[in-house]
Amino acid sequence: MNYFPDEVVEHVFDFVTSHKDRNAISLVCKSWYKIERYSRQKVFIGNCYATNPERLLRRFPCLKSLTLKGKPHFADFNLVPHEWGGFVLPWIEALARSRVGLEELRLKRMVVTDESLELLSRSFVNFKSLVLVSCEGFTTDGLASIAANCRHLRDLDLQENEIDDHRGQWLSCFPDTCTTLVTLNFACLEGETNLVALERLVARSPNLKSLKLNRAVPLDALARLMSCAPQMVDLGVGSYENDPESESYLKLQAAIKKCTSLRSLSGFLEAAPHCLSAFHPICHNLTSLNLSYAAEIHGSHLIKLIQHCKKLQRLWILDSIGDKGLEVVASTCKELQELRVFPSDLLGGGNTAVTEEGLVAISGGCPKLHSILYFCQQMTNAALVTVAKNCPNFIRFRLCILEPNKPDHVTSQPLDEGFGAIVKACKSLRRLSLSGLLTDQVFLYIGMYANQLEMLSIAFAGDTDKGMLYVLNGCKKMKKLEIRDSPFGDTALLADVSKYETMRSLWMSSCEVTLSGCKRLAEKAPWLNVEIINETDNNRMEENGHEGRQKVDKLYLYRTVVGTRMDAPPFVWIL
Amino acid sequence: MEFSNSCSSFSSSSVDSTKPSPSESSVNLSLSLTFPSTSPQREARQDWPPIKSRLRDSLKGRRLPRRDDDTSLFVKVYMEGVPIGRKLDLCAFSGYESLLENLSHMYDTLIICGKRDRKHHVLTYEDKDGDWMMVGDIPWDMFLETVRRLKITRPERY
Repeated sequence: MNYFPDEVVEHVFDFVTSHKDRNAISLVCKSWYKIERYSRQKVFIGNCYATNPERLLRRFPCLKSLTLKGKPHFADFNLVPHEWGGFVLPWIEALARSRVGLEELRLKRMVVTDESLELLSRSFVNFKSLVLVSCEGFTTDGLASIAANCRHLRDLDLQENEIDDHRGQWLSCFPDTCTTLVTLNFACLEGETNLVALERLVARSPNLKSLKLNRAVPLDALARLMSCAPQMVDLGVGSYENDPESESYLKLQAAIKKCTSLRSLSGFLEAAPHCLSAFHPICHNLTSLNLSYAAEIHGSHLIKLIQHCKKLQRLWILDSIGDKGLEVVASTCKELQELRVFPSDLLGGGNTAVTEEGLVAISGGCPKLHSILYFCQQMTNAALVTVAKNCPNFIRFRLCILEPNKPDHVTSQPLDEGFGAIVKACKSLRRLSLSGLLTDQVFLYIGMYANQLEMLSIAFAGDTDKGMLYVLNGCKKMKKLEIRDSPFGDTALLADVSKYETMRSLWMSSCEVTLSGCKRLAEKAPWLNVEIINETDNNRMEENGHEGRQKVDKLYLYRTVVGTRMDAPPFVWIL
Repeated sequence: MEFSNSCSSFSSSSVDSTKPSPSESSVNLSLSLTFPSTSPQREARQDWPPIKSRLRDSLKGRRLPRRDDDTSLFVKVYMEGVPIGRKLDLCAFSGYESLLENLSHMYDTLIICGKRDRKHHVLTYEDKDGDWMMVGDIPWDMFLETVRRLKITRPERY
């Protein structure tokens, strides 16, 4: 089988970096499995409870980079209680004991503690990169340990975490000898920032390419920081309350003009509603713009800025830009690949919100668009059909009509045909989120056409179990299915238990599944963890005489090779 | 089959510890989960729309006056020479144009901003400092912050 010595094969494998491809390689034969596992440096674990640290280390002893994901996606929307799980400490402890040469750790939706950060910072001499996304459980004291002890730190990237800010001096814990920083993102910190320490740190980091500030960094500090870091590629502005007459603002204007490498702009966490014009000189270079936190900036100012951004590939914005604003985007940003339009008015009925017109305009004007997340007031089947025709290349299509069960606002029909057109035309579609009034029909279309679909989010949709069955039977590549407030029950859940072995996870909340249905599933599939999250009363489900027929509030099931987890809190019942 | 007696509009969030047990939770979804589109939801849900907590918090902290039922700015409006005034909610307008349109309609005559001429009614306002100023010179948002009342001057007729 192998005509080449192992070293040659290994060298070939070095060129294969995607974890999906490496997983495929390892399945070819025993010899390749062995070569691959010793040479694998980056490991991705999509569900931290699908395996455990011991198995990880046994298989990949030369591990350098680990990515771990914890809580299910709906945890982002407060559907999963904080103490559910996803603790990183056991992983760090095991890695530390094994003396593996860890250099990079990327965590998403996990519980991180100061203790784990301290242990991490002390255990791996070559540790370079820490990326935490939507994590919680730690404070700035933990950051201080990372700053103080990781001598070769390159990336400290904190994205949208819940961090207890002790207003400490974590920034001054970086030793004077630390000059290796490339990425520093602390935008999610809520407290005061030691500006002197920050400025000194930036001044001694010549490789710093990505800097994202929190709201406690005022304009004059921003001006100074940009002056000493003209090599900046990715900037997150903190506070942007400016007086256009002030000296700070003039300094900022001058500094921005020198930042010719700037490609990505975000932040504006506290912004006065005027004057983004200081950034206009560098807009023509921008490829990424995230203004979703700039809630104070008017649509008209957003539009003026975007009109200069002809090379934009990624745009995240609030719906205050309006349909008219999206038309400007469509005519200006011909390179646009990814668009996210977030709602700006949570109480409903915003009159500056976007409609189907904005979406159609974008689809017509941006031929390279492949990913969209669009929150809107209303939609029509006709618009979706047009969008499908204009953009058959969608990989991710996520539409959220703010009012659940809302039909086509012109015809009052369900939106089945519109979404059907999307899945039929977009043959590469991997991720889909549905909304609006939808019957079982839309799921028939999804099962029939969405051959590449890996992730599907369903909310307030469908009529009967048939809907869910169409999806489970049809979508061969389904990995993550998350369903809330939809009338799917035990029949659909139990129809094909072996399907769940091919999927990473299934989430069902406020659906029709019952306790007895879940118990039967758990019996049939011992290789699944079937978790019932019941926050109200832990024992009620057992004591009540009708226990079998009781509806389960939240069900989360996932395949695993290590059985029931031991760290579940009392309100999580693993069947 | 257990029927729900749940409410006809969204109530508190799902992580609320006083939430009814699963047997009472929403069953017939077309009944129990209608979002009334006419009345604004005073208390936003924590799990809908599906956006991350950080974004939700950032939107809640908005300082701009929102043009919804919550904010209004009623000022007195006088037509020169007419002793009885009117009251107008300035927050109901998107800018100077719609304000003028509305006032013109209210008084059944063309009202303009800008230089006083002999033919037209010109709109003026009293600001925070008590000074009478020409309407239209400053941005609308700034105007809303400083205006105390409005006066429509009569055309000079000789």
